Amino acid sequence: MLDTAPAVRPTPGRKSSGRGRPRRPRLGPYLLIAPTVVVIALLMFWPMIQIAVMSFQKVGNRQLAGEPAESVGTKNYETILADDLFWQSLRHTVLFAVVAVSLTLLVGTLVGLLLHRLGRRMSMFVAGGVMVAWATPPITAAIIFSWLFGSTGGVVNWTLDLLPDLLVGGDWIDYNWFATPLRTYTVLTVCVVWQSIPFVAVSVLAGLRSLPGELFEAARVDGASAWRQFWKITFPLLRPIFLVLLVLSVIWDFKVFTQLFIMSGMANRDAFNLSLYAYSEAFGGMNAKLGMGSAIAMVLTLLLLVVTAVYVRIMVRQGETS
Amino acid sequence: MKFFRIAATTVAIALAATACGGDGGDDEGGGTAPAKLSVWMMGEGTPEQTTFLDGVEAEFRTKHPNTDVVIKYVPWPQVATTFQKAIAGGEGPDVTEIGNTDVQSHIEHSNLADISDEFAGWADAAALNKAAVANDQGGGKTYAVPWYGGVRGVWHRTDWFRELNIQAPKTWAELAAAAKKIQDAKKVPGFGAPSDQTNGIMSFIWGNGGEVAVKEGAKWVGKLDQPQAREAVDFYAGLVTKDKVAPEKYIGKNELQGPQQDFALGKLGMYIDGSWALKEMKKVSAKDADKWGVFPIPTKTGGNAPVMAGGSDLAVWKSSKSKGVAFDYITVLNNKTNAQKWADYSGFSSMFTDVKFTDPKLAVFTSIASNTKMPPLSTGWADFEQTKKVIPNAVKAVMQGKPSDAELKRANDQANELLNP
Repeated sequence: MLDTAPAVRPTPGRKSSGRGRPRRPRLGPYLLIAPTVVVIALLMFWPMIQIAVMSFQKVGNRQLAGEPAESVGTKNYETILADDLFWQSLRHTVLFAVVAVSLTLLVGTLVGLLLHRLGRRMSMFVAGGVMVAWATPPITAAIIFSWLFGSTGGVVNWTLDLLPDLLVGGDWIDYNWFATPLRTYTVLTVCVVWQSIPFVAVSVLAGLRSLPGELFEAARVDGASAWRQFWKITFPLLRPIFLVLLVLSVIWDFKVFTQLFIMSGMANRDAFNLSLYAYSEAFGGMNAKLGMGSAIAMVLTLLLLVVTAVYVRIMVRQGETS
Repeated sequence: MKFFRIAATTVAIALAATACGGDGGDDEGGGTAPAKLSVWMMGEGTPEQTTFLDGVEAEFRTKHPNTDVVIKYVPWPQVATTFQKAIAGGEGPDVTEIGNTDVQSHIEHSNLADISDEFAGWADAAALNKAAVANDQGGGKTYAVPWYGGVRGVWHRTDWFRELNIQAPKTWAELAAAAKKIQDAKKVPGFGAPSDQTNGIMSFIWGNGGEVAVKEGAKWVGKLDQPQAREAVDFYAGLVTKDKVAPEKYIGKNELQGPQQDFALGKLGMYIDGSWALKEMKKVSAKDADKWGVFPIPTKTGGNAPVMAGGSDLAVWKSSKSKGVAFDYITVLNNKTNAQKWADYSGFSSMFTDVKFTDPKLAVFTSIASNTKMPPLSTGWADFEQTKKVIPNAVKAVMQGKPSDAELKRANDQANELLNP
């Protein structure tokens, strides 16, 4: 995708011929990509610019009804930066992303390796099975998980209560999984990781399928352990795939909203992440504060842009060295 | 935007031109009858509600035979965003139901039509609850009509009370003792005390002589840091932490996320909910329905605590082209016969002082409703109650062991800020 570096390099043959033809700018590729760029610009960049503008304005119901929005300078940002809830939400967002991304990549890779080991039919069967989790809409998944972990008739509490007290302790039947942020995020992590594993697993599987089998054969002949094979062969060769998966997971987990909204809701402000905090300011009540919501969304966007920038930088560097 | 406005006006004129063909049946200030009257109702729209509203429409059409009533149901969780869209897009309804705590915000944002004249000319208006009417007025004008209200009481098992020889608690101490007795004898939590129940908790504060905020001059001044409020929150949270008669599992939840279902299933001794809960609990399990009863929320030293009258009002949306006809619809929907039908179906009390429930089990709510109190009539109340959930978050923190002094001080600062927008 970003592997355009070799194309601009002069071909060795041309140099030796001595008479380089004058280069004409080639319009074709630009024309082909133009419609996509226009659509993306309209659907993504324009709203983003709007949000950026709104984050410096006061936008409430009166403004929605047509009154011109009043510019407030950086007041929205000052308000959120002075709000303890903002910092708490930021902390939740980052910590959750770190934990969820690590778990997603770890378990997803393990499942991918497992799929590679399985025979054709079994591998298809298991892959199809895990894809169900990927295909489940987030709302459905969130509702299922809040039932599983519910304190009335939740199967998790019921199971934990059946297990011997020695193992898990007692009094599980009334355990409230959504009382504190830590507990809420435990359930949220399980739910989100469960849903994102399949994508990682299938991507890793596709990568593994593209690797030449002789490398592993040779490694096995040399007596390399599975652990060593993974770190010496699989990982270096699949590095670009892992990088893409890492960045995508970070982006997804930074902006988790639906699941948390359904599980813990607007009543538990102590468990907010940035998305929920932005939503609650912008749409949470009768008095819309879209300017404040936009400011929070901008902070989240900037965080994600940093992540993306790091990613692009690494990709470009890789293109240079390879 | 401008294009849409022009287009909309053109369509409106065209519609009006075709609709005012003749029949001239609306000479009592009704205005021109439109071809379509758009009505928004809040909630899910059950089959029973649809049947009831069909009846209302049939009655309405005897007066306006050429007007088609189109009902749209707006689920409560989507209310805020739906109204935001109506404001932004200019595609509002003619008549709408609105939550009574949102009325002041709507008035402030001039979303509602001034119906002072129509209201003054409506004979039935005299029998409406005075406090509820006051909530629908601003700057000497009337913007909405009280429709139904709901007050909360303590649901309990009458059979367990009889068996364990418990009298309906009159004080906080008796309430905690009753919960303890049930818990020990029946092996179920005695009382459900969810933290996300602003109005239930306010009854405890009010019942102790406390306030959330009072108006001093032109400003709302928070009173949550006063001893009366603190005592109430300490008691309510203490049901979980100190008396241990309310389970931890309802922390962070509201009365619908657990207590209601648990009570209906016989897994909870008492909990606070409104008259409308009866219908919902019967859906969960009607097995013990004849053993359910209600008593008023007690005060600390004895008596009935004031309760917040939640509920809904009816308003004409500002952009309605046929204000008079829209108001006619309201007078049909909320005439005494329909008010009675609605109360019996929905379990909400009518805002007419002379319309009572037919079911004797719910009669107690009528007496509870004689002691209602409105939350601060500030445009910031919606923010305080819904967006920021100030009281629920303070109570939640106290239930998890934080000191009530500091939490209520913080809540009070928020009240001072949010109620004076």
